[in-house]
Amino acid sequence: MSLKQTISIRSIVVSFIVSIMIILLLGILLNFTHGLEPTLGSELLAINVSSTQSANSVTSVVTYYRGFDTLGEVTILFLSIFGVSLGLDSFDKKLNIFSYENTLLKIAVDTLFPIIILFGVYVIIHGHLSPGGGFQGGVIIASAFLLMFLAKGDDFKINHKILGLIESLSGAGFILIAILGLLIIDRFFANFLPLGELGRLFSGGVIPLIYIFVGVKVSAEMTALLEYFIRIKDVR
Amino acid sequence: MIGLVILAIIASMVILAVFIVSNKDLPHSVILFMGFGLGSVVLFFLFSAPDVALTEAVIGTGASSIVLLVTLLQVRRKEKIR
Repeated sequence: MSLKQTISIRSIVVSFIVSIMIILLLGILLNFTHGLEPTLGSELLAINVSSTQSANSVTSVVTYYRGFDTLGEVTILFLSIFGVSLGLDSFDKKLNIFSYENTLLKIAVDTLFPIIILFGVYVIIHGHLSPGGGFQGGVIIASAFLLMFLAKGDDFKINHKILGLIESLSGAGFILIAILGLLIIDRFFANFLPLGELGRLFSGGVIPLIYIFVGVKVSAEMTALLEYFIRIKDVR
Repeated sequence: MIGLVILAIIASMVILAVFIVSNKDLPHSVILFMGFGLGSVVLFFLFSAPDVALTEAVIGTGASSIVLLVTLLQVRRKEKIR
């Protein structure tokens, strides 16, 4: 066995790349607190409480100061799921690929499903008070449906017409709130509701409303996407 | 102390990333990718970004790995039948 065989070029390259990445990350970490100058972010943090009364400043940036970006994200998510549903068509023949019988799992899932749904709803409607929000809570609700798909197999089916109706109505409601802001006050995504008191559930004006619409839309879209991936057209 | 924890997480994430790329078994590599996402969740939380940590935990670790795994299973099943 020669030296060429024991030390391959690939392992040398891999260790070289690893060391470079560790050095770069160390450099980033050591410079992490340097040069923190007042930027747009700190100005937004300073005016956050007085202008939105939302306890979570990240949420007020996502849905209020940068509401237009959120509209773009929701549109991108909608378009990607539209593309997936175009690609994985042929709805009637679809079978669940996970179709083994497990009685314990089936019974446990019935107990777990409402708890996960409840947690997702909590994350959505407390988006302006605690970490979380529409996107995260929507995916949590979709993960509850994923658990049902995995455990129940072909017994659990979802009406895709109702799902599409929910999704399109919540997307329309999101844009409707933005247009109402344009009509009542002069700006797209303006806050036309009373602001309320900091830290209460009913506070922040339109921010919780926008996040509820985003959460419903994302949960419907992600549920449809996961079902498309799990139930797929039978093999030719 | 917290700096040492962060450094350990970053080093293990880098090593895990190399394993993910260089692994021959694809489902194995997806499960390692879940571990990578878990490391980044802890890292985001330690950098005081709990919103991003929650998003990464739900989407990066949960949903995307499930989609990758299911796609791998489907592709493999079709290859076997052919």
